Amino acid sequence: MSVYLDYQAAKPVDERVVKEMLPYFNKDFANPASLHGHGDVATEILSQSRKKVADFINAPDAEDILFTSGATESNNMALIGSALKNKRKGDHIIISEIEHISILNIGKYLEQQGFTVSRVPVDQYGIIKLDKLKKLITDKTTLISISTASNEVGSLQPIEEIAQIANEKKILFHTDAVASEAVIPMDVQKIPFDLITFSSNDIYGPRGVGALYLKKGVRINPIMIGGGQEKGMRSGSENITGIVGFAKAAEIMKSVINEEASSLKKLRDKLISGVLETIPKSHLNGHPEKRLPNNAHFRFDYIEGESLILSLRDENVSGATGSACSSKTLEASHTLLSMGLLHEEAHGSLLFSLGRFTKESDIDRAIEVLPGVVKRLRKLSPLTPPEFLKEY
Amino acid sequence: MKSTSYSEKVLDHFRNPRNVGEIEDADGVGKVGNPVCGDLMWIYIKVGKNDKGEEIIDDIKFKTFGCGSAVSTSSMVTEMAKGMTLDKAYEITRKDVAEELDGLPPIKMHCSNLAADALKAAIDNYRTGAEPEVEIATSCQLDTQLILGVEKFVGKGVYKEIPTNLEDLKDKRILILDAGDESLEFALKLTEVTNRVILLTSAKSIPGSVELRMKLKQSEVKILQQSDLLEIIGQLDEVEKVLIHDNDEDENYELTVDAVILLDYRG
Repeated sequence: MSVYLDYQAAKPVDERVVKEMLPYFNKDFANPASLHGHGDVATEILSQSRKKVADFINAPDAEDILFTSGATESNNMALIGSALKNKRKGDHIIISEIEHISILNIGKYLEQQGFTVSRVPVDQYGIIKLDKLKKLITDKTTLISISTASNEVGSLQPIEEIAQIANEKKILFHTDAVASEAVIPMDVQKIPFDLITFSSNDIYGPRGVGALYLKKGVRINPIMIGGGQEKGMRSGSENITGIVGFAKAAEIMKSVINEEASSLKKLRDKLISGVLETIPKSHLNGHPEKRLPNNAHFRFDYIEGESLILSLRDENVSGATGSACSSKTLEASHTLLSMGLLHEEAHGSLLFSLGRFTKESDIDRAIEVLPGVVKRLRKLSPLTPPEFLKEY
Repeated sequence: MKSTSYSEKVLDHFRNPRNVGEIEDADGVGKVGNPVCGDLMWIYIKVGKNDKGEEIIDDIKFKTFGCGSAVSTSSMVTEMAKGMTLDKAYEITRKDVAEELDGLPPIKMHCSNLAADALKAAIDNYRTGAEPEVEIATSCQLDTQLILGVEKFVGKGVYKEIPTNLEDLKDKRILILDAGDESLEFALKLTEVTNRVILLTSAKSIPGSVELRMKLKQSEVKILQQSDLLEIIGQLDEVEKVLIHDNDEDENYELTVDAVILLDYRG
């Protein structure tokens, strides 16, 4: 029995989406730029797909959606594109300390190019401090970019308030919605987003395609220069198969999102209480209530994350960790450190993220094997206090 | 190569580590590692003599906090060293350990370094004849003037006196410097309004009177030993982070906090 609880890293493509994509690989494969009949078929399906994706976030006009190769590219477009466009107005950008690594690294890149970047700190739950955000705004600020939720610990950010603050100060507001798009509906007619990054795979579509929503009237510089596709905003022959898949995934997700979020929350809560109750010295990272319905992020005293994942692997359970040993840069998760955790606490972290195909038996199995895995590693660790070990 | 592309041998040592444990009356103990990068290895040895009268490793045990390669390299080094003469054991290099394990992903080679170092540290500890350290906690005289940024942040997260209204500190992440019993008692009091209290001391172990030490140990207060506060950092002059120097590792690192409490030293 294989238990997959790493939906944050990758989601399987829904079968209905795969089916929808198939004809566009080698039956209706043409380029929308072509002037013949086959080209017209492509143009038509591109237009229909764009409408579906726009509907997903209740965008009034399908043309407000630009297709990209994924969320990382959308983030690059949003930040670099708007920074460059608005250079004359100002050179200050505000992001948060717990953004996805792409935003953080784009921030560093922009700093190297001469822009000023401020990072809003978070509280111990990983939620940004609104009063600090307000204070950081200057008359040179041209963009505020804050994710809808932390992709690590699941904390929900006060997006409505941030949008309002940005709006009042006439500053562009961008949000990376990847972490929440499968569980929290977005409505651009309710909240004044200027730019939104979202991806296909995170709503069970194919990987390698994403979108950037641009509110009507918002101008940014393109960063993919070429043949002028997407109204000159993002060149490159359109990934029709990917876009068709993305659109189908969006259509399905729009119809099930509330129901799915609700059942995921139940499973998540069962997992959280199961773990906290059966494993001593275990803690939940992030806010207990203001968190993604599919995110269960823990830390366990005295043990390290990579060895935890390896041990779980032997039990056929898949999760993720924020330990230094597990990262490419040998640095512990910046999100956990920004929340105030000590390094050794950040190392002992475990993320279980749930999704559409998670069953209750997966949760039961995870709760079944985790205590034994944690116990074994604690017996190995020099940090485990002898008195604790005796009673364990 | 992915950091977890482990050989079967590495996985075997990870799943079934040899020689796990402690030796209560060890002849030598080696402790190496660094919680910042996430590896800690402790090795205990018992020294005996072979027929030729040479000193050998009679028994060896280890405990490790760390990733798959940390566990397997420490397990392997103990397996290699058991029964060896001290001299031979001292010569074990990280390459030897990695080779015995059929290789490690390049990014993990530093773990095998740690294992070889821990063994050397244990042998050194035995040879120098050092008494097992009896830690006597000493609170150091605090000179707040040596901490960068203090004056800037007074009233904006830095407290030089016990605040009258504890509610200001509710749910905040607090760093409090060891400045004698009064600060330790206050640290304990703070746990009533927040669950993130970090006590910083340059002492080698938990400071304070016997009773206070007991209370601290049982409390939620996290204690950073052998550490000094170097600098207070924050945008717009509000406390956001501190820069701490770990005297044991001789390394600096940042810690996210909302408030810093620097009371005057009172013995």
